[in-house]
Amino acid sequence: MSRTSIDPITFEVIRNAFVAATEEMVLSLRRSAYSTNIKTRADFSCAFFDADLRAVAQGFTQPVHLGSMVEQVPRAIRDYGPGNIGPGDVIVTNEPYPSGVHLNDITLVSPVHTDGEVVGYVANLAHHVDVGGGAPASIGAFREVFQEGVIIPPVKIVEGGAIVDDVFRLLLAQIRSKHETAGDLRAQVAANATGVRRLQALVARRGREAILATMAELLGYTERRARAELAALPRGTFEAEGQVDTDGYTDQPVRLRAKVTIGADGVTFDMAGCDPQRRAPVNSTYAQTFSACAYALKCLVDPDLPVNDGFYRLLRVDAPLGTVANCTWPAPVVGGWETQTRLVDVIFRALLPALPDRLPAGTKAMMCHAGFGGVDPVTGAYTCFLETFGGGYGGRAASDGPDAVQAHGQNTENAPVEETERGYPVRVDRLALVEDSDGPGRHRGGLGLRKDFAFDRPTTFTVLADRTKEGPWGALGGLPGARARFVLVRGGVERDLDPKSTVDLEAGDVVSFRTCGGGGYGPPGERDPERVLRDVLEGKVSAERARDVYRVAVDVDARAVDERATAALRGAP
Amino acid sequence: MIRLAIDIGGTFTDATLIDEETGEVSIAKVLSTPFDPSVGFMSAAERILSEAGARGADVRFVVHATTVATNAIIEGNVARSGFVTTDGFRDLLEIGRQTRPSLYDTRFEKLPPLVPRDRALTVVERLGPAGEVLTPLDDGSVREAAATLRAHDVESVAVCLLHAYVDPAHEQRVGEILAEELPGVPISLSSDVAPEFREYLRASTTVINAAIRPVVGRYLESIERRLADAGVTSELLVMQSSGGVYSSSAAARNPVLMVESGPAAGVIAAANLGEALGYRDILSFDMGGTTAKVGLIQDGAPSVTKDYSVGSHTSAGGGGQALSGHPVRTPVIDLVEIGAGGGSVAWVDSGGMLRVGPRSAGAEPGPVCYRRGGTEPTVTDANVVLGRLNPTYFLGGEIGLDVEGARSAIEERCAQPLGLDVIEAANGIVEIANAAMVNALHLISVQRGYDPRDFVLVAFGGAGPVHANALARDTEMPTLLVPTSPGVFSATGLLGTDLKRDASVTLLRRLDELDPREVEDTLAALEATGAAELEREGMPRDRVAFVRRLDMRYVGQSYELTIPLDDGPFDRVQADELLDRFHAEHDRTYGFSAPSEPAECVSVRVTTVGRIERIALLELGRTSGETLPKERRPVHFAEAGGFVDCPIYDRYALRAGARLDGPAVVEELDSTVVVHPGYTVDVDPYGNLIMRRA
Repeated sequence: MSRTSIDPITFEVIRNAFVAATEEMVLSLRRSAYSTNIKTRADFSCAFFDADLRAVAQGFTQPVHLGSMVEQVPRAIRDYGPGNIGPGDVIVTNEPYPSGVHLNDITLVSPVHTDGEVVGYVANLAHHVDVGGGAPASIGAFREVFQEGVIIPPVKIVEGGAIVDDVFRLLLAQIRSKHETAGDLRAQVAANATGVRRLQALVARRGREAILATMAELLGYTERRARAELAALPRGTFEAEGQVDTDGYTDQPVRLRAKVTIGADGVTFDMAGCDPQRRAPVNSTYAQTFSACAYALKCLVDPDLPVNDGFYRLLRVDAPLGTVANCTWPAPVVGGWETQTRLVDVIFRALLPALPDRLPAGTKAMMCHAGFGGVDPVTGAYTCFLETFGGGYGGRAASDGPDAVQAHGQNTENAPVEETERGYPVRVDRLALVEDSDGPGRHRGGLGLRKDFAFDRPTTFTVLADRTKEGPWGALGGLPGARARFVLVRGGVERDLDPKSTVDLEAGDVVSFRTCGGGGYGPPGERDPERVLRDVLEGKVSAERARDVYRVAVDVDARAVDERATAALRGAP
Repeated sequence: MIRLAIDIGGTFTDATLIDEETGEVSIAKVLSTPFDPSVGFMSAAERILSEAGARGADVRFVVHATTVATNAIIEGNVARSGFVTTDGFRDLLEIGRQTRPSLYDTRFEKLPPLVPRDRALTVVERLGPAGEVLTPLDDGSVREAAATLRAHDVESVAVCLLHAYVDPAHEQRVGEILAEELPGVPISLSSDVAPEFREYLRASTTVINAAIRPVVGRYLESIERRLADAGVTSELLVMQSSGGVYSSSAAARNPVLMVESGPAAGVIAAANLGEALGYRDILSFDMGGTTAKVGLIQDGAPSVTKDYSVGSHTSAGGGGQALSGHPVRTPVIDLVEIGAGGGSVAWVDSGGMLRVGPRSAGAEPGPVCYRRGGTEPTVTDANVVLGRLNPTYFLGGEIGLDVEGARSAIEERCAQPLGLDVIEAANGIVEIANAAMVNALHLISVQRGYDPRDFVLVAFGGAGPVHANALARDTEMPTLLVPTSPGVFSATGLLGTDLKRDASVTLLRRLDELDPREVEDTLAALEATGAAELEREGMPRDRVAFVRRLDMRYVGQSYELTIPLDDGPFDRVQADELLDRFHAEHDRTYGFSAPSEPAECVSVRVTTVGRIERIALLELGRTSGETLPKERRPVHFAEAGGFVDCPIYDRYALRAGARLDGPAVVEELDSTVVVHPGYTVDVDPYGNLIMRRA
């Protein structure tokens, strides 16, 4: 094992201090932000980079930000010019091209100076509920990036510790929910300030040399561990296809393709074969695609492995320019996360035959956004609401897919009903599991969830989701989960909405989200009858479905499996 | 008269007893009896009473801290409960927060709700966010739900209706009907248990209360019966998570308030000792076998949080976002707990680096040096190798420590793979554990806007005083205090804990529209209820005091800061000052404030405190000459370049006024105090060790 200049004790002490510093940034941002999306739903992440802009430590709440920050932050600093950034300055950006993500994710980067020299950078990225553009919450079936909201190239939002008022005001002028956004931006500034102070204190205490040596060694250390993990993965090339069901304009599903090669030196993700980019909300930027691949790989290695440049060195992503896996200007990017999360699903599908004990059948694998807003007739303020919804997770080799959870890189909490109703002009009529939405299997997929929003005034409402044509795939004999539906109820009549559309609601309208179930794992006829019974008694699966799909007869009154009838159904001897 | 306290922990049950006249304290330690904790409770109680020569009739009251509530949840030993909620929201518990407990684990499991779906029922009713009735309560739907619950033979029921924190009328009516229909089944209403908004958190809290109510009720009854058999008929008080005690009958109704009973006791003990000695700002540091816990006491009051989950784990770097566990939204003393205890395992990872924890060897098999079959080196093993723990006087000599075993385990598993010698490796293990604890001290102080240098460190728990000096040094805290009998300090703290009731009402008002009259009326009503409750428990009115607070935030924020109010009626003047106070608190906590932004009040809180009479600390005789060590042995201090010939003192031989210079080690039955070079220790009039930089 290679040894470096730093002793293992000092290394471990400083490494943990790095983690603690990012953790403090996360806490600071979460506690002082305004919007439900950042505070309650925790849609943000924090990171720390060395002076060469290599990621050293990341404090995640949302794994989707894995990989995307490591693309965006270095570019922002290089574009602006490291020499033009002084102590107390903060750079802000959300520019998607050439290597950012969607416009709602605004990133703030601060240099960490000690004795006039840069020892590193801290950054945080937060999903803002609105950044302007064509619809409230800045989501919708847009044709070009210019419709999606304010584009912020790397500029100073704070200079020498003071907010640059001209920039701040120019930015807020483009945004509907000014009050929340201003509060959230201030919280982001404060979080970076926390990170800067912590790292400066660490340098003061441990010395610049020890800090720099630890940063360098940390990357080598991570790479060594990552390579040891890599050696335990099955070698080979694995391929799968999948699709994003709709693009909001045409009947043509967006075809996705992933070829994963696990070799001696690393893992290559080849996205050749994905459809060309579209003038529709289905385009993933390179940073987003990179983030999908990084997430998939991270799931296959020791969860204790740090995430930094040493880990990313194992990863190679080839995504042809001009495709939905690496879109170019001026394609819209708002739907990029929908495609990104489906790419994880395709990668898992490719790898499942080689790693059947580790990976789930098809999962929700859509972000599934609802966004709405309007002007308050009393105060004149524009309020915007954004939420994403869980769905069924895929069945696994050893257990059922959990019901109604977030999947892959997404782990945002739901918006509490009471908080939503207090803060926004909406009533939530229902929050429930979707019964019988499971993908049948020896281990069934999880159930989808249903949430109904009722409005008493005209409101602009956007659905940005998917999974209305194909339910999540079943694995090794399992069947797909139920498809999602997005339903407008007007005057008692239900109408399915396009999963990428914006509608003008009337007073009395209800929009009902019914997300997909997870795919099943293994043949449903092999499911343990006692588990089927439990599902029936809990009302998650109907007795009819138990009989027809799982081939288990349940005597509901006796709360028992009818053994003889089940044997007959299953054709046992 | 005497007071008796029993603190049940995972391994030991500690008893302390104080004579109210003389101030003399006795202690006893017995093994815990997890199969029936009341057995350990009684053997500790009986032993200490007989050793002190006291009779049951002499006991004024018994105070109890216990993990019985938490264990019931973690072990799934819960009642067959039902859950009743608003039509359309049956799956509140199933869906929870829709998050996964771990970000990258594709084989994760979601924690199953404490009430399965077939016992989750709905009733027809609906309130709006202002408490307005959108759908009136349909009594028939409640009776139908009751019939189903009866068929399920439930032992306990939780009710959580949407927006019931604004107006409890529907919940109360549901409670009445259920009580009629299900005689003898306890009903927990969310508007009683945790009247705060955010339905899943309130529902989870209420369900926990319902699910452990029968278990905790039976437990408390059995203890009271056994106490009565032993002649102790005085009142049984139980420690709450928020740091006050309540009567056993209140505890049986609201057991969710005692989920963090044990850890709270330690912080309260530190606060009470600080009060007696004149220290108002304290960081408490409690280190045992598996974890270390730090708490913050500011101006005499422990900081309290409502962001807590039972049976949770948080992900590193996740900002403490609790992704698993059952959330509890009742006040809990704010503790940062990390997996660094005496039993934390040291190991070399696949990248060739030394790691400590989070896995612990626990009590079984325990550290290698315990000779109970442990093979992995731990923090305690490192302390033994460094000479800090006395192999022949650990727990007063009850366990003879295996120094060679500890040394060879560190040699094989840490030193050789790292290319270090065994002493370097042992020292490294201690340094890494210390650094983790320094991070925890930072998290609870600096992260919340406090400077640890303004605080006194109070160290206790069996392992706390071994490490505390190094932590005080690394955080630049000027004063370290090690109380007498640090190993049973938590139990000692129970003896002087006040009766407490926390109550709150949601009152959402913008500050510029706030009517001081309305706030004052709300506060006064909460105070009247609190005082009446304590009076019913025998607390004289003249010993009851109130602490008034408001939860505030900027309009649009969704987390609140709690701002203390002055004594005296809440009027326009106070209301105006309140805004400045809020801006200042926001600035202190988060590093910024927004004076141009409107602020709002979210809820009004009153803590009613029934003050228990304090007993003066017993003074120790003064020293009459030089304090001599009982022996000397080599002890390793990295800052001294290695092993030094170190004086070892017997704590029981120390007298008030004695001064010791580091390096030194002070040994007593239940702990060991390590004094680093460059530090001095003064023995105060009561036998506490006060450590400062020389």
